[in-house]
Amino acid sequence: MTWRAAALLAAGAATLPLWPAPFVGVILMTVVVLALTAVDWALAAPPAGIAADRDGDRRVRLGGTATVALRLTNASARTLRARVRDEWVPSAGARPDVPPGRVVRMDPGAGVDLPTRLTPSRRGDRPAVALTIRSYGPLRLAFRQRAGHPATPAWTLRVLPRFDSRRHLPEKLARLRVIDGTQVTRGRGEGTEFDTLREYVVGDDVRSIDWRASARRSDVLVRTWRPERDRRLVCVLDTGRTSAARIGDQPRLDAYLDAALLLTALAARAGDRVDLIAADAVVRAVVTGAGRPALLTRLVDAVAPLQPALVETDFALIAGEVLRRERQRSLVVLFTALEAGALGEGLLPVLPRLAARHRVIVAATHDPVLTELTTTAPGRPADAYAAAAAWRALAERDRLRAALTRYGVTVLDAPADRLAPEVADAYLRLKSLGRL
Amino acid sequence: MTAVPHDIGPAVPAPTAPAPAAAPRRRRWHRLAIPLGLAALLTTITVVTHAVDQPDPTEPGFLSPVATDADGGSRLAEALRDRGVVVQRETDPLRAMLATAGRATLFVPAPELLHPGTLGALRDLPGRTRLVLVDPPRQVLEATGLPLVPAGRRWATRAVGPDVDGLPCALPEAARAGVAAAERQRYAVPPGRSGAAVDRCYADGLARVPRSTETVVIGASDPFRNDRIGERGNRELATGLLGTTGRVVWLDLDGPAPPPPSPDGTDGPSWPADSEGPGGGTGDDGSPGGGDEPGGSGDDRGDGDSAADGRPPPNPLWAAFPAWFWALLTQLALAALLLVLWRARRLGPPVSEPLPVAVRSAETVLGRARLYQRARARGPAADTLRSAALARLLPRLNLPADPPPDAVSAAVAARAGGTAAQAHDLLYGDEPTTDRELLDLARSLDLLTRTVAGTPEAARADAGPHVRPPVAADPRPPDPVAADPPADLPGPDRPATVPRPRPAPPKEDPR
Repeated sequence: MTWRAAALLAAGAATLPLWPAPFVGVILMTVVVLALTAVDWALAAPPAGIAADRDGDRRVRLGGTATVALRLTNASARTLRARVRDEWVPSAGARPDVPPGRVVRMDPGAGVDLPTRLTPSRRGDRPAVALTIRSYGPLRLAFRQRAGHPATPAWTLRVLPRFDSRRHLPEKLARLRVIDGTQVTRGRGEGTEFDTLREYVVGDDVRSIDWRASARRSDVLVRTWRPERDRRLVCVLDTGRTSAARIGDQPRLDAYLDAALLLTALAARAGDRVDLIAADAVVRAVVTGAGRPALLTRLVDAVAPLQPALVETDFALIAGEVLRRERQRSLVVLFTALEAGALGEGLLPVLPRLAARHRVIVAATHDPVLTELTTTAPGRPADAYAAAAAWRALAERDRLRAALTRYGVTVLDAPADRLAPEVADAYLRLKSLGRL
Repeated sequence: MTAVPHDIGPAVPAPTAPAPAAAPRRRRWHRLAIPLGLAALLTTITVVTHAVDQPDPTEPGFLSPVATDADGGSRLAEALRDRGVVVQRETDPLRAMLATAGRATLFVPAPELLHPGTLGALRDLPGRTRLVLVDPPRQVLEATGLPLVPAGRRWATRAVGPDVDGLPCALPEAARAGVAAAERQRYAVPPGRSGAAVDRCYADGLARVPRSTETVVIGASDPFRNDRIGERGNRELATGLLGTTGRVVWLDLDGPAPPPPSPDGTDGPSWPADSEGPGGGTGDDGSPGGGDEPGGSGDDRGDGDSAADGRPPPNPLWAAFPAWFWALLTQLALAALLLVLWRARRLGPPVSEPLPVAVRSAETVLGRARLYQRARARGPAADTLRSAALARLLPRLNLPADPPPDAVSAAVAARAGGTAAQAHDLLYGDEPTTDRELLDLARSLDLLTRTVAGTPEAARADAGPHVRPPVAADPRPPDPVAADPPADLPGPDRPATVPRPRPAPPKEDPR
């Protein structure tokens, strides 16, 4: 029953002073209202006779808005008057176009689309949870509502990482083209791999003239070179406890993802093959490089649901996984945090095996809070103690860096927003030196 | 390829349906139903077992001298005969009362079976008669004019000593019997008749009223029953209570007793006659029962009941308003009930989702700082600050790693001003002993490094320790608290004044 039944009964109560036998009036009016309610309930369209389906976006970038439509079809023989509540998880940011307070009217056999606009506030999979339909009778004195009728059509919106670092991509690609030699700024392309022979134009380096080929033809030919292609690159994401710490407003893992995506976009354009492994105590995601155009899409899709786990990262597992998958020499970019406890006990024992076969870069985000603690003049005794603790943490980190460098590992330590371009620069530097 | 198209690529497989939604609901229902059902089952079993176990005084054969079952009294009768007491079984109340002529004891095991008309006669039995009532209800106590009211009933009988409440028991039989199962229904003297002489024993489970007819009221039937007469002092108590006069008239009723033949014309259930004044002393006025009370018995009874229950007379508020007002209130209450039913059904359940973990940055560092402060570790903190300051100063002073302190002090004094002794005291002095000293030390070191760096703002911007050249020669794990002085080359990649935007990792790509 609804508020209308109660209001009807309350309005009837106002007539009671006129009744000769008031209590008989109470019973009579109550019976009448209940009977009307029962008739109304019987005339309401059954919720089980409604078919529900969904259609719309499957993916959205974080910060964007997706639209998913709920399609209801009234398969019963009665007109449906219903309030519809389509529930998503709170972080999906769902705003239905038709609010749940409004009554939707559908004739028998008709269908209606109820679009919901979703502006997710977090990365990952955002599922629709429950669909509730409250079917009213023609007098709206009573309603029918059954949990699970109709069944909630499943839908999951995958929220992709924001990929803020893609604004660095044009610049890095321009540098890549310079290295590649496709853009004539410095004559021949850098690199060691023979590319083609072409006619000499003014401005080419005379040292690259291939005299033997020029002799065969009546023209002066120059050799062009290009960087090696089809090198291999492995991004390893540490999703363990250190990746959960928030630098600024986002966890470290998000900075890792951002940098890994920029690196992947760059390497895919440079013709290298990119694999990705995300692991903490277990392997969370693996993407092996495949067809170049779909690589970035697949990668984004694979890393979107990753979340930090509060466990210690098993670097032996990671090293074993990398060594098992990558037989050729590759560039391994390990995204992690420079923490003495986690890396010193986990990574250092397995690093020799890894560094012997692959070239390793450790990319870490450093914490602006430590810099803040050590560079501001102390104002209270607590600040002095904090500065001491921060200096000690920095000394430990320096020692860890030194230990890593001894194995020939390149250590990148950058603020969260600078991590992606730094990693890309390191990659381009190696590329231009032909040391990949 | 600068953007990630989010609408191409293979469609993700259909998301998993929330299949296990039904299971938690059922489990939640179980969570409520199982403990409540268990409690209800236990309660039911207990109540049923208790009802089966407790004897029913209205059953035929209850405490009958010829019944040999558990509720009977054959063993008591035998015990009395063994003591030489004559047991005279009577099944009619009037004949039993007549039989008490002379010195005798009238034993009434089931007083509630007596007809109300008979009860009045119990109070004027011949003198020197002892009357023993087992667990008499309130009506019987009132009708017989005893100054007693029921005062609480136990769930089961308890065996207690006769003078358990501190007062010695005035009954010699009880004192002889000792501990006996006599405490179940307790009796008290009503407040209006506190002057009445009543002897109470067994924690008020047994009361004796020494009137012309000596009346003994006992709240438990256990000492007399076949099944429990052998326990503790039960037999002693039962035979003692009944055997003092040498003859027992045992009123053995099979069911409710018929009304007595009315010698004076009123066949009346007139038993509440004395109840008009619970506080009055009508028990001793000698009026012969309620048989003289004229008028309809129903009214009397009703009044008596209501007075006994303490129910107030009809509320005058009912008459203060017209009937439609109450009807209106009723209907509005019904409307409110409908409102409640409407609001009670929600439109879909609340939705929950796991929140991401949030770990604050530098949590461990700040925690260690608080530990330092709580432990008053000023020495280690000062050491760390000093070695960190030295690590920053040495490259800028063009000094080698691990230099003699005098050379450092002299160089610092020359660069930053002050005397060498001050600089030595600052960099190699004693441990601070108070927080204030530590703070001063930290401030001085901060100021010194800025002065030596020369361009404070630029130095502040990036001369942070995180871009310090790595301590390549230090192979030890991060064990000692005070960091060692840096053991690498002082100069080359750290010019004294010009800050480099970012020193590249030194060992990277040398060729």
